[in-house]
Amino acid sequence: MLQVKKINKVYQGKVPYRALTDIDLDVEKGEFVSIMGPSGSGKTTLLNLIATIDEPTSGDIFIDGENPHLLSRNKLAKFRRQQLGFVFQDFNLLNTLTVEENIVLPLTLDGKRVKDMKEKADMIAKKLGISHIMEKRTYEISGGQAQRVAIARATIHHPKLLLADEPTGNLDSKSSRDVMDMLTHINKQEHTTMLLVTHDAQAASYSDRVIFIRDGRLYSEIHRGDSQKAFFQKIIDTLSLLGGNDNDFSSVRPS
Amino acid sequence: MTFRQFALHNVFRNSRLYVAYFLSSMFAVMVFFTFANFAFHPAFQEGDMPSSAMKGMLVAGGIIYVFSFFFVLYSMSAFLQSRKREFGLLMLLGMSSRQVKRMTFIENMIIGIFATTFGIGFGLIFSKVILLIAENVLVIDETLNFYFPTKAILLSLVSFIILFLVISFFVTFVLRTKKLVQLIKSDKQSKGEPKASIFLAILAAILLSVGYGVALYVEGVQVVFALLPVVIVVTIGTYFFFTQLSVFVIRRLKKNKHIFWKKTNMLLFSDLSFRMKDNARTFFMVAIISTVAFSAIGTLFGFQAYLTKGIIEANPYSIIYNSMEDEDVKAKVNDVNKILTEENVKANQEVIESKYYEIGVDYPVLIVTASEYNRLAKLINEDSVDPKENQAIVVEDHHANINNFKNDEKLMETKIPLKDGKEIQAYSTISSAVINEMQAYYIINDNDYKYLPEPVKQSTVAAWVILDATDEKLIEVGEKVSESFIEYNNAFSIDYMVYQIERAYGPILFIGLFIGTVFFVSAGSFLYFRLYSDLDNDQEKFKAITKLGLTNDELKKVISRQTAILFFAPIIVALIHGAVALTALKHFFDYNIVYESVIVLSVFAFIQVVYFFIVRHFYTKQIQKAL
Repeated sequence: MLQVKKINKVYQGKVPYRALTDIDLDVEKGEFVSIMGPSGSGKTTLLNLIATIDEPTSGDIFIDGENPHLLSRNKLAKFRRQQLGFVFQDFNLLNTLTVEENIVLPLTLDGKRVKDMKEKADMIAKKLGISHIMEKRTYEISGGQAQRVAIARATIHHPKLLLADEPTGNLDSKSSRDVMDMLTHINKQEHTTMLLVTHDAQAASYSDRVIFIRDGRLYSEIHRGDSQKAFFQKIIDTLSLLGGNDNDFSSVRPS
Repeated sequence: MTFRQFALHNVFRNSRLYVAYFLSSMFAVMVFFTFANFAFHPAFQEGDMPSSAMKGMLVAGGIIYVFSFFFVLYSMSAFLQSRKREFGLLMLLGMSSRQVKRMTFIENMIIGIFATTFGIGFGLIFSKVILLIAENVLVIDETLNFYFPTKAILLSLVSFIILFLVISFFVTFVLRTKKLVQLIKSDKQSKGEPKASIFLAILAAILLSVGYGVALYVEGVQVVFALLPVVIVVTIGTYFFFTQLSVFVIRRLKKNKHIFWKKTNMLLFSDLSFRMKDNARTFFMVAIISTVAFSAIGTLFGFQAYLTKGIIEANPYSIIYNSMEDEDVKAKVNDVNKILTEENVKANQEVIESKYYEIGVDYPVLIVTASEYNRLAKLINEDSVDPKENQAIVVEDHHANINNFKNDEKLMETKIPLKDGKEIQAYSTISSAVINEMQAYYIINDNDYKYLPEPVKQSTVAAWVILDATDEKLIEVGEKVSESFIEYNNAFSIDYMVYQIERAYGPILFIGLFIGTVFFVSAGSFLYFRLYSDLDNDQEKFKAITKLGLTNDELKKVISRQTAILFFAPIIVALIHGAVALTALKHFFDYNIVYESVIVLSVFAFIQVVYFFIVRHFYTKQIQKAL
């Protein structure tokens, strides 16, 4: 489904800075993969490259056999709104629109019929438990609700690949768990491939596989067994091996 | 929600963000419309406006339109800059660049249509108010009554719809070739300093000095031809002056740690350089607009002074009569006296014969005797003269004589041959308004008079000075005299003439004042927009700094200086530009308008100072509220 081949990213500047070195990554269809690593390890850069927000210095990225970086601007726009979904740490909802309008935005951009959009929005809202706030504006809802709205927006068009950058970063533990449950649910039900960048070992433990990056290189990867709890412990162990800055993970260390 | 609804929601639900852009657009429409309203006013269309005045109106209209274009373009680009992040997000969600363009286009057209409609609406009310004030303050005589300006409405509507259409296409350039990453992170980036190059800095200096040099050098009719090139050269020069000089000065200051690292200076200068590009552009715009305002108003006041004061100085008598060849002089003089008696005013009167002689200069020269000259001089309390035998006094050319032939020098060199074989030699030159003669003439001793050759032409001049009468009475008398001498128009009352000039000139002066004021006010609002577009940033910044420990006085000091630079840097340049322009104008009229220029420029400077204090007060309050 997603193939990342020998990706390099160098930021040009007075002092060129190498953010990613020879990253290779394969993600199966329907797989849920987390990317972890210390601050500055390049995980968000990698996600941005896959999300077509940024361009790699060298190497190729294939999503369903297609390299989006080679598409024309217009085709790329179409590709984004039909194949990709995004969830961000700070939600990035448009505050000029209501919750419902935010959710249907990808469909609106695609010029779908109003009736279809309405149906889909209602369906997904029901599933995510946000039907009662559909008419509200974005500044009238809580962080947890906002992230659910963002997930609804990211999945309403049934994207092939859902990309999430620290989706639990701004949420309390209860909301975090809800959001992760929801993502897992969508992953299982819709067979949406998911790529999650996170600091949060708890959140990462929901995925099938965790990939660790350090200083722009792949460090290791671990697969989930049957138990989420054991997986969580394994993630914590790898993180402490990984080193980096201890403070990065202090909040999720089991006491 | 369809795409169009989406764009509409964007505008209406986010009105706070759009309101500044909307207001500035509306302001531009209002100004243009109010101007068009006057330009198309029936009083001007039918009336006997001189063609030069109409041409002036046309040029002014064009300037306002071009100005509006840049004004709206500037507001729009500032507005779009603040929304780059939003665009990045939308494109990430899969909005194609075509859709982004379509969205901004729809938004722009919505704002454009509303701004145009409301601008015209407010313009109508505004015009009415202005007209009411004008009728009461100026000598306008109800010629500028309110009318329903179909033409002006249509013109404004069409012009501004076109303007907004064109500007909507400019959106493409603002958002072009930006990578998504740059868009999304744009709110954290500085627009940076404009590139400073020594070449451009020198070019700025050269352009300005050439522009100033030419403006100050040319005289008379040349001023008209030099006008456009000088304006262009000075405008470009001013642009580079601000973009180059401001960069240069601030870089130097930042390098000097003794200054830069001293107390609050660091805050002030780092901030200035962070917004250098915007600031330089604002400075340039404000300087140019204010210059236009100063020059326009200065010109009109100067011109009015030239017309009225010039005439008053040239005609010290209440009524003056110049006989035509076939007239019965006595009867005509009696006519005037009769009118004076009818109106019950007392007047002193003198009559002299003015005779013109051919003496080898290229025009027939007037030669009067000292006694006749002194009689007239006594009438208006001027000094009398006493030329000796065979000597003459040359009276200079009248200063209203634009041709500048310097005939007085010629007369000084010429000798007048007398019948007894002697010659009269001029020995001194004086300046006098006793006899209203355009070209230089001689005053000679009474004894020489009889030896003069035959005059080539001669006429009788009668002059009256009315004693103790009100202005209204003087104008009434003048009107009667003018009517009675309508055949040759060879007798007139100075008071009536000035009254007529003021009446004809009133509307023009008023419109000039109006345009100047509008330009000046819009320069002010430019500064206001500039300042308030940074308000959020400033609040953040000062919030952070007060946490580190910034006293209230220090805060006020930083804000005060920041605002002062913004308000006075462009105005000082504009004042200098304006002073040069008015000096050039002085050369054109060859009439001293220093007094009027100083008044106009200092009034503007004063208003700017007041404006500065008001804005500073409110801005400081806004910042303090956020702390």
